[in-house]
Amino acid sequence: MNIAQPNTAQPNTAQMPVYLDHAATTPVDARVALAMAEVLRSETAYGNPASTSHDYGDVAAALVESARGQVAAAVGAGAAEVIWTSGATEANNLAIFGVSRYYRDRGRHIVTVRTEHKAVLDPCRELERRGWEVSYLVPDQEGLLDPEQVAAALRPDTVLVSLMHVNNEIGVVQNIAAVAAICARHGGAWLHVDAAQSVGKCPIDFASLGADLMSLSAHKVYGPKGVGALLVSRRGDAGGRGRVQLAALQFGGGQERSLRAGTLATHQIVGMGLAFELAMTLSSVETARVAQLQQRLWRGLAALGGVLRNGSATRSVPHLLNVSFAGVEGESLLAAIRPYVAVSTGSACTSALAEPSYVLRALGRSERLSESGLRFGLGRTTTEGDIDTAVAVLTREVGRLRHIAGATPVT
Amino acid sequence: MNYNEFTRRYFEAAANVGELTGAGVFRGAAGTRGQGTWVQFDLQIKAGAVSAARFLAFGCPHTIAVSAWLAESAVGRAVGPRLPEGVQELRDRFAVPIEKTGRLLIVEDAWLAAALPALEYRG
Repeated sequence: MNIAQPNTAQPNTAQMPVYLDHAATTPVDARVALAMAEVLRSETAYGNPASTSHDYGDVAAALVESARGQVAAAVGAGAAEVIWTSGATEANNLAIFGVSRYYRDRGRHIVTVRTEHKAVLDPCRELERRGWEVSYLVPDQEGLLDPEQVAAALRPDTVLVSLMHVNNEIGVVQNIAAVAAICARHGGAWLHVDAAQSVGKCPIDFASLGADLMSLSAHKVYGPKGVGALLVSRRGDAGGRGRVQLAALQFGGGQERSLRAGTLATHQIVGMGLAFELAMTLSSVETARVAQLQQRLWRGLAALGGVLRNGSATRSVPHLLNVSFAGVEGESLLAAIRPYVAVSTGSACTSALAEPSYVLRALGRSERLSESGLRFGLGRTTTEGDIDTAVAVLTREVGRLRHIAGATPVT
Repeated sequence: MNYNEFTRRYFEAAANVGELTGAGVFRGAAGTRGQGTWVQFDLQIKAGAVSAARFLAFGCPHTIAVSAWLAESAVGRAVGPRLPEGVQELRDRFAVPIEKTGRLLIVEDAWLAAALPALEYRG
C-alpha cells in the first residue's frame, strides 16, 4: 500500500448503513483526532514520557500528566489513581488478576454477576481453572442486582467483587455505592467496577461511589481505540484495612507505579484525556437529546407489536435500547437489516451458529427471544433521521420475516 | 456471517411465500419454531408434476433462501421421492456452513413430508 495515499477501497459514507452501535465503539471526535495528530506530528513531543534526562521526555511526560488530570477530573478521581492501560479489557484483567494474585493467601473467592462483560467473566473462568471459587450472581428480570445479593454471597475468604456500572448490552445501571458500602463493611472484599460504558452517559464519581478499582475505556467516549485506564483507589476505608493493592501482571520498566510496565503511547493518552474532558462538557445536554431519540426509537418499534424491551426502562442509560422481536429468527433479522442499519445482535457469532445472548438468557428470556435481541447504541452522531430510518427498516423487515414465518410470534 | 450472492438474493426477495389450498395440494412440515428452525411446503400437483409451490419458514437466511429456491424451482417438475436438488448440492449452491447441515435436513424433511404422499396422486 502506498502510505502517501489514503486507502479508498472502503465504501463511502453514502453507502454505509445508519450507525446505531455506539455501545460497541464510537467515532473519534474530530477535536480528539486533531489533538492526537498534533502530538504525532510534533517535533518536541515524540520523546519517551519516561525519559527524564532530556526535554523531549519532559514534553511527552507533561502531555501524559495533563491527560491523566483530565481523565481523573472527568470521573471524580485523583490523578495519581489513574493507571494507563490498553483499554478496559486490560484494565479488567489487571484488576481481577492483580487483586487475586496479591491477596491469594487471604482467600480465593470472587463474586461477580452473570451479566458482566466477557472481559470480566473470562478472567474469572481462568481463575476457576486455577482453583479459585467464583460466585456468579443472577440479576432480576430487568437485569438489576439487589445489593443484598452481594452481601449474601460474601464469605470470609472473598477478596474481590467485580460488578459493572452500566451493562454493555442492556444499559441498566447498578447500585455501585450500595455494593461498595457492603464490601467496606465486609472488610476483606475489594470492589472492582467495569465502567467502560458509563462515562458521558451518566454521572460517575469514583470517590463518592466508593469503588476500589474502576476500568475505563477511551473508544466508548469518542476517543481512540487502544487506550484505557484502571483507577486504583488511594484512599483507605473506615474499617482500617488500608487501600487496595495489586500485583503487577507485566514487567519491564516500572511505568505506572510498577503496575503496568511499557512505554506510554503519548498520542493515545492525549486523545483519551481530551475525549473524557469533552464528554463531561457535553454530558447533560447530550444525555437529554439522546433520551428523546431513544424514546422516539422505542415508540416506533413498540408499534410493531410483539416487541419486548430488555432491561429496566427506568434504571438505565438512554444511549442503549435492547429489544427482542417475537416471531423473528435472530440471524435472519440481523441479515435483513444489515444493509441499512448497523446494530449489535444479542448473539455471539463465534461460529456459523449464533449463540443466544447470555445476558438476555440471564434475564430469563427464552432462547428465541435472546437470539432476536438487538442492541441499539445511540450517540452523538445519531439524528432523528437515523432513528426514523431504523424504525422504517425494522418495521418492513420484521413484518416480512413474520410473514415468511407465517405464524403467531414465538415468545 | 457472510452469505453468498445466491443466498442473499433468495433471502432478500423470497417469493412463493404462503400457503395453498384446494384439490391436489399436499402439505408437509418439519422442525419447530421453538428449536429455531421450522419449514412448511405446500405442493399443488397436477398430472404428476408440481404446478405450484409455497413455503413458510422460521429460520436463518440459509433456511429461508433454500426453501424459497425449492418452491420456485420445483414448479413444472415431476414430483419425486427426493429433493429437486440434493442436500450436498444445496449446501454448495448456497454456501451453507457445515454446522448448518441439520437445518437443510429439516428443509428436506418438510419437502418430503409434502412430496411423498403426492406420489400416488393422479389428479
